[in-house]
Amino acid sequence: MNKLTVTIDDKTFEIEVAPDRSQPGEYVVTLEGQALHVYVPDYDEPDQVDWMIVDNRPYEMVFAADLRSVQLEGGRHTVQVRDKETHSIRPATGDGRIKAPIPGIITRINVEVGQTVEAGQSMLVLEAMKMENEIRASKGGVVRQVSVKPGQTVTLNEALLEIE
Amino acid sequence: MFKKILIANRGEIAVRIIRTCREMGIATVALYTLADRDSLHVRLADEAMLLHSSLRYGDADAVLAVARQLGADAIHPGYGFLAEEADFAERCAHDGITFVGPSPAITRSLRNKLEAMEAVKRAGYSVPNCVELAVGAGDTPEGGKEEEGKKGLSEAYLKQTAAEIGYPLVVKSARGGRGRGARLVLKADKLVEAVQAAQREATLIYGDGRLYLERVISPSHYVAVQVLADQHGNMVHLGEREGSLLRQNQKLIEESPAPSLDDKQRKILWTMAMDIARLFHYQNTGSVEFLVDGAGNFHFTEIKGRIQIEHAVSEMVSDVDIVREQIRIAAGETLSKTQAEIRLNGWSMQCRINAEDPWNDYLPSPGRLTRFRLPQGPDVRVDTYGYVGCEIPQRFDPLLANLIVHGDTRDACIHRLRRALQEFRVVGVQTNLPLHLQILNDPDFESGRYDTRFMEKFRFDTKCRDEEVRRDLAAMVAVAFALRGRVGKPMVPETVRTGWHRSARRLPV
Repeated sequence: MNKLTVTIDDKTFEIEVAPDRSQPGEYVVTLEGQALHVYVPDYDEPDQVDWMIVDNRPYEMVFAADLRSVQLEGGRHTVQVRDKETHSIRPATGDGRIKAPIPGIITRINVEVGQTVEAGQSMLVLEAMKMENEIRASKGGVVRQVSVKPGQTVTLNEALLEIE
Repeated sequence: MFKKILIANRGEIAVRIIRTCREMGIATVALYTLADRDSLHVRLADEAMLLHSSLRYGDADAVLAVARQLGADAIHPGYGFLAEEADFAERCAHDGITFVGPSPAITRSLRNKLEAMEAVKRAGYSVPNCVELAVGAGDTPEGGKEEEGKKGLSEAYLKQTAAEIGYPLVVKSARGGRGRGARLVLKADKLVEAVQAAQREATLIYGDGRLYLERVISPSHYVAVQVLADQHGNMVHLGEREGSLLRQNQKLIEESPAPSLDDKQRKILWTMAMDIARLFHYQNTGSVEFLVDGAGNFHFTEIKGRIQIEHAVSEMVSDVDIVREQIRIAAGETLSKTQAEIRLNGWSMQCRINAEDPWNDYLPSPGRLTRFRLPQGPDVRVDTYGYVGCEIPQRFDPLLANLIVHGDTRDACIHRLRRALQEFRVVGVQTNLPLHLQILNDPDFESGRYDTRFMEKFRFDTKCRDEEVRRDLAAMVAVAFALRGRVGKPMVPETVRTGWHRSARRLPV
């Protein structure tokens, strides 16, 4: 039995999850005073799960690898899960590091170390898929470090610069 | 007829061309780079050759060398890359290889868009007000200080030229296409920046930084007439397409017929398009493009002398295989149907499915397709190079698939497209499928009353408004969390700060 606090966008649910012993991949989920029957056809490959049936309602979804978001029926929702028994919680987002959202080539850098930037300001330009992609500041602050140079190839999630 | 055609392109258009070649009994040669070796066109072709060139599919020498080596008697350029390259077409002819497209002379007369517009204006048709910037084709500014000294881009010169045209205006590539290199300028203070950016992009994409300024006609509709012309003087049209739904100058949804025109306007436009194509002695397939202003006046902009990404909507309403006609025309055969034999039937729409993230500024989203389920059923067509396991490269255009549907009426077409979008499932890369779904539910789109400003007013908003669905989602997230915790290492976080997600991410091995 797991006791969880799950927040979908801005709504929080208190949830209990218990496996249904009669059938692998079946769970009884209790929330808002009702018991829902959830069937996970691909229960043996948890990170590959892309559909479930809740009572008689089939859903297809895509879970982010870190379970921080989920896509369902053309929408994307932010997710927070808190395990009440272990008291674990996901850390606050945003440590000021700007990471490459896609692999590509740095074509221009518009800021310098020590420069004060505003949220939304263009920091650098990353070329990928024949498009120039402007990488903007996620928050205001002072540029502490620039880790890349123009012409440099960067991989996904590579730290590009840091704002403090 | 040709024995073997080399396809000098990639992606969904290469797949599209190979399909028709096979139906015609013509052998195919595909080209590929290391980045898109996985693409479907490589697997479907009879022969496939790796291109080592840094110019990739745009390398005329490399493409011709492969064609000679493998004995191809024709080259189909698709769109972009070597399409609309008169020099390349000339070199093909020199090597005894047929270029599937208009003759070099026709391409040259169309390729300079300003001269083409001038010729059409002289013949008595309306064209948008525009002027070329005196910037050499070889200039490749990098946004640095040196270039500001160059005569062609001096601020005073630009501002004076722009003032003659008037604002708002668009900075466009003289070579352009697909909206690349184009920048909208509303006021004089943004002009220099826009010209520099447009020139960088035009140089990057077309290897040619020549630009012109064009007065914006807004609101407007982008309408094009699909024409086919053989070498024996026969010409037909396959009706018109509307591509007014754009985001960042890129068309998202195209349809045929154009919802912004009535039947009387349509007939006038078809005749006008054929007359304009005849001015250029046009041959092969072409799109005669117009801007339609708020008063319903047509302004000729250009003839695209190649197959278009949105060609399939014309195929769906006319039941004519445009690639087949292109190949027949290039081989010197006559058009397979006369105008009287072509019946334009019902309605067709196409969505361009791009590997890009609508929740993250539409940044490109390359990666490996782990799930790829295509929509099926009556009157649904998908042109794509993807399949499960295929790597979507970061190097090329984000267009992943064209989803095309047909219906008896526009309304039937929208319902079919909506259900096809819901069926289309892509995991591994992010796509703009959710954006298309939301556009299709927009009342202005549904009624057909939209113009090129549609996306300015449109707000992408996919909030969940169904409480039952949200409750079910919470239950499924809880189960997913429990499942990940159960398999493998039990979930014991090191500290509150490291959090559950690190242990979850480590699982399963």
